[in-house]
Amino acid sequence: MSEYSDKELLDLFGDKEKRNYAFNLIVRKYQEKLYWHIRKIVIKHDDTDDILQNTFVKAWKGLDGFRKDSKLYTWLYRIATNESLTFLKQQKTKYLLPIVDYENHLSETLECDEYFNGDEIQSKLQKAILQLPEKQRIVFNMKYFEEMKYDDMSEILETSVGALKASYHHAVKKIENYFKED
Amino acid sequence: MKNFNKKLEELKGNSNNPFSVPKDYFEEFPTRIQEKIFTEKKELSWAVKVLQYVKPHFALGFMFIAFAAISITAVDFILSNKSNSGYGNELFTRTIEVDAYEFTEQHFIDVLLEDKKVIIEKKEIESDHYINYLVNENIDYESLIDEL
Repeated sequence: MSEYSDKELLDLFGDKEKRNYAFNLIVRKYQEKLYWHIRKIVIKHDDTDDILQNTFVKAWKGLDGFRKDSKLYTWLYRIATNESLTFLKQQKTKYLLPIVDYENHLSETLECDEYFNGDEIQSKLQKAILQLPEKQRIVFNMKYFEEMKYDDMSEILETSVGALKASYHHAVKKIENYFKED
Repeated sequence: MKNFNKKLEELKGNSNNPFSVPKDYFEEFPTRIQEKIFTEKKELSWAVKVLQYVKPHFALGFMFIAFAAISITAVDFILSNKSNSGYGNELFTRTIEVDAYEFTEQHFIDVLLEDKKVIIEKKEIESDHYINYLVNENIDYESLIDEL
């Protein structure tokens, strides 16, 4: 199946009779990218699945009003990022824990997770990333794992390129220190 | 830090994704999300239908309540005005004045001296007493009316 461009998908979505088909194509095009983006933030598969569903439901509701001055995928990424951050805040309130303790909880349960199959060094890297503040963690994941351009990250996170570069630099420094200490 | 950056890049290149997903997860996900959206739409349309049915009934109910409230307030207002009204007293005074001007002095004396008069109260009317009083005090008919 040849992939449609974002413009073609949006035009197709504009036709009410072909709306469901267009949305199905959008989901198939972006589900994996968005899944891994969310998964790196919240770690657990079940939580990722819930957030991914919420992301696409919001996308369905918001596509009619989507202004085509931004790219479709940056818009989807922004929804997914905000949903993930909202989820983390809710976890803090739910368990009456500061967010750092929730990250510690994820760090401790990582190796027991049935959907984590990393070796020792990968496990150590994930634990180091979990020590970062949540926004810095998102910047690191987007740059390191997803190899996203700073301009796209700037659009998604609504932060300047300079700030993002500084954030990534600090994130790498902290991970290096974690590896040295351990 | 340059060495560590290099190490990170090597780590990314050499290793597979440490995270996994359940089998057929991405194949089934589009269908699941479509079902979820369809279910939400159905629930929403049901809610909209209920609201459309109930809205006119609510409107009618509120109309009755408003009408009752206005009526009670109006009745209450009228009743409270009636009890404080001086209009009735004025009417009585005016009636007495009008009727009284048609009533002459002679009529008044005739009524008092009338033999066939009906006693309303068992108490004896001392008509002589009243006539003597009027004469002794030199009170004429017009002064009596003014006093009344």
